[in-house]
Amino acid sequence: MDYLDRLIQEKLEREAQTKTRRHFIKECATGLGGLALSSIFMGCDPLGQPKKKTALAFSERDLNPLATLSPPHNPKVKSVIYLHMAGSPSQLEMFDYKPTLQKLNNQDCPASLLEGKKFAFIKGVPKLLGPQAQFEQVGESGNWVSDFLPHFKNVVDEVSFLKAVHTDQFNHGPAQLFMHTGSPRLGRPSIGAWATYGLGSENQNLPGFVVLTSGGNTPDAGKSVWGSGFLPSVYQGVQCRSQGDPVLYIDDPEGISRDLKKSTIDAINKINKEEYLKYADPEILARINQYEMAYRMQIAVPEVMNINNEPENIRQMYGVEPGKESFANNCLLARKLVEEGVRFVQLFDWGWDSHGTDHTTAVDLGLRNKCREIDRPIAALILDLKQRGLLDETLIVWGGEFGRTPMQENRGNKEMGYKGRDHHGDAFTMWMAGGGLKKGASHGKTDDIGFSGIEGQVSVHDVHATIMHLLGFDHEQFTFEFQGRNFRLTDVEGEVIKEILA
Amino acid sequence: MDIIKQLLGRLHPLLVHLPIGFIVLGLLFQWYDRKKEVLKQAVALIYLWATISAVLACITGYLQYTSEGYAFDSIKMHLWLGIITALFSLVMYLRINEKRSPNGLKIIPIGVLAGIMFVLIAFTGHLGGIITHGEDYLVEPLPNSVKSVLGIEIFEEKTIVLNNENWERALFYEDVINPILNNKCVSCHNRKKAKGELVLNTKEGILKGGGNGEIIVDSNSSESALFTRLILPKDDEDHMPPKEKNQLTHGEIALIKTWVDQGTPFEVSIGELNLSKELFEDYFPKKSDFNFPDKAVEVVAIDSIKLVKNAGFHVEKISKETNYLKVSCVNKPNFSDKDIALLKPIYKQIAILDLGGTLITDDIFELLISLPHLTALKLDNNTITGSKIEKLNKLEYLRSINLTSTKFDETNLNKLEAIPSLEKVFLHNTHVTARSVQYSIPKDIHIDLGNYELPVIASDSIIY
Repeated sequence: MDYLDRLIQEKLEREAQTKTRRHFIKECATGLGGLALSSIFMGCDPLGQPKKKTALAFSERDLNPLATLSPPHNPKVKSVIYLHMAGSPSQLEMFDYKPTLQKLNNQDCPASLLEGKKFAFIKGVPKLLGPQAQFEQVGESGNWVSDFLPHFKNVVDEVSFLKAVHTDQFNHGPAQLFMHTGSPRLGRPSIGAWATYGLGSENQNLPGFVVLTSGGNTPDAGKSVWGSGFLPSVYQGVQCRSQGDPVLYIDDPEGISRDLKKSTIDAINKINKEEYLKYADPEILARINQYEMAYRMQIAVPEVMNINNEPENIRQMYGVEPGKESFANNCLLARKLVEEGVRFVQLFDWGWDSHGTDHTTAVDLGLRNKCREIDRPIAALILDLKQRGLLDETLIVWGGEFGRTPMQENRGNKEMGYKGRDHHGDAFTMWMAGGGLKKGASHGKTDDIGFSGIEGQVSVHDVHATIMHLLGFDHEQFTFEFQGRNFRLTDVEGEVIKEILA
Repeated sequence: MDIIKQLLGRLHPLLVHLPIGFIVLGLLFQWYDRKKEVLKQAVALIYLWATISAVLACITGYLQYTSEGYAFDSIKMHLWLGIITALFSLVMYLRINEKRSPNGLKIIPIGVLAGIMFVLIAFTGHLGGIITHGEDYLVEPLPNSVKSVLGIEIFEEKTIVLNNENWERALFYEDVINPILNNKCVSCHNRKKAKGELVLNTKEGILKGGGNGEIIVDSNSSESALFTRLILPKDDEDHMPPKEKNQLTHGEIALIKTWVDQGTPFEVSIGELNLSKELFEDYFPKKSDFNFPDKAVEVVAIDSIKLVKNAGFHVEKISKETNYLKVSCVNKPNFSDKDIALLKPIYKQIAILDLGGTLITDDIFELLISLPHLTALKLDNNTITGSKIEKLNKLEYLRSINLTSTKFDETNLNKLEAIPSLEKVFLHNTHVTARSVQYSIPKDIHIDLGNYELPVIASDSIIY
């Protein structure tokens, strides 16, 4: 004990020695002076007015961060359903028909294409791989669809294709982040977060931004692809499950009645409101709202997430598998959620990374299975929205994070047992359907083997600009101030793809 | 060697400021010293430095001219005046330094020489500025009215307007291409400025091309710089317009491409060329296909909105561009017919009304006619039969009615015809059959009966 006392004594003495009177006076000059100066200059914003505390004047948005706001421009759609095929589907087996590639099948890839290009796995000189599917021109539009997607052929005239989308990322994580937040690095809000922040949500009992996943895994980029970035956290996506409880812990625990729960939440929120009056931290409001919404969700969510309530013919049309986690279930849920006024529904389906390392990732085998899993549900989703008069006010976006190479993957510079394709961001296919879009349009072209875009190339930012446009935003004006500058989803790029607008 | 030449040449814009500074300093000293004349030696020294630096500026200037590809015509005045300025500063030096001053020079009053010096340096400097920044650099910020008084050519933004009646008669060049070039290119490529020796506001200029040769080759857009420069990546040095300038839109680029491919017709109309209307879509008046009437309505008081919100309705302006409102009962499933009175303060502004999934009855149709601007109406998921739907014929803007999952009776179908602007009716999951629709509905109303099916096919169950 004595030893410890001495040690503490010594520490205090040392501290006293470093902080002399002279030191104090010196510190005053810079330290206090600096403090004074910063209050004169208002931090980094020398001309700004001191921020007024708005704690006492609650606006509707303060109390409910999901309260609706009207968009600056007339919107074409009110909700978005974004179908993301995580892993990136092969456009060459689904929509981008390349007969020339078939002719060049198994020939060495021309060196000119490989110059200066980086691939995730392809080494040396790979061989070209012809399309592994049969293509057919379908519908009045005559757009090409492969036999991997037989049901989709029924809705091809509802869809606008973008055949030459390009991204600058070639690995899943960054590319997914780029596709959903406009930046390949962490920290930016996702499209859904922007939309919910800008428009709020009509249904008070449901989250404004719901995420559903299938395929047995979540996206490589993690939850940041539906994160809120620098926007208040209330705008992030709420992940619901299609198997088991839709939201974890949504049931009341044993022995806790709903009344007790309600009074608990009321008490917590009362304290939180007092905290907010003191500190004016918007995160406290977000928390208050989360509590209240969670309470309301306990009734509303199981109701809307229950696909067993749907009539048999609808369930058959989607091909749902009740009790399981499936893309079909998620598509039906997406329709139900949009019908209930949810702003943004994000579906991720995992398992599209067709490298050809095994059976499940072979473009002629596993990919067919993946296509079968989404084919009926997507066609059903489009038709079901249409018959309910919802397709005109909903936007459906389909795509992966990039495309796949016209060359067969040769991992480790060896011929592989299964046919696969490597990651490829230079040109791939996405499509959109719904309100404000041309029906049966196709914009953009790739070269004869589908390697590069040669006409109507659009970037990921252009896709974002178009989504924002349809929701009623000018993507260049819709900003959020963070770290001293205004940020937007498209950062400094993006042009609305007018060619596919009706 | 070329690299050194080019490098030295690029130092010219930096070096020129030395003689300018020295000469101005010398002039100021001369003025200050005009009576006492005690700083003569210093002034002489300043002019010596001015001479030396002016000579250096001349050398680097010449190198820049040769290595950066300037046309001699465009810089000759600046070049000659630069040399004269350098020589004249030597004259100033000699005149002030009396020991070395030739007798002839002493006769000229120093004030006259200083005046000439001032004019020379100001004018030469200005000419140099014009070369780097362009002729209108100094006057560009002036308002157009002042500019026209000064006699400066203005390239005012030209708007292209086409409509269904006149678009085929419009001249492709005169009415479309010329305005595009005017708005996006001509501010640099006109007769006065002619960057890259290219003039784009006259037929002759376009056909003649620029310093790199013709810009239109064989009526083939992929070989014609007028088009290919537009589609280069923005970061490419040859991309036009330069990165920081206002860019052409995709639509404008497509039009330039078409014009080149058509053989750059100058006097031919769009109709004669048989071009598709789609190309010109951007210039047609925008058809309003939004769900609110095409006429203005007064803004509704915030208090009224609050009142309606407090009653449990979801109310929001359709957008900030319009005063029309969208009202929904998504959070008010217990809405019944009489509750419509709660909306009274905003009757006139409601364009979109969603009463889906509420307790309404067929009496609602009578009540809805107090909402004169109703455009889109949702009445899905309830038990109405549509027996009084003909009442809606008073609603002149009503375009769509959603009656899915109701008990709508097909005997009431013919009543829809009376609604003047009706375009779309959704009748999925009702008892209406396709046959009855065929008999009782005119073709201009689109009826969606839904009940779509995706039959089971063999491949549904094949697992690979």
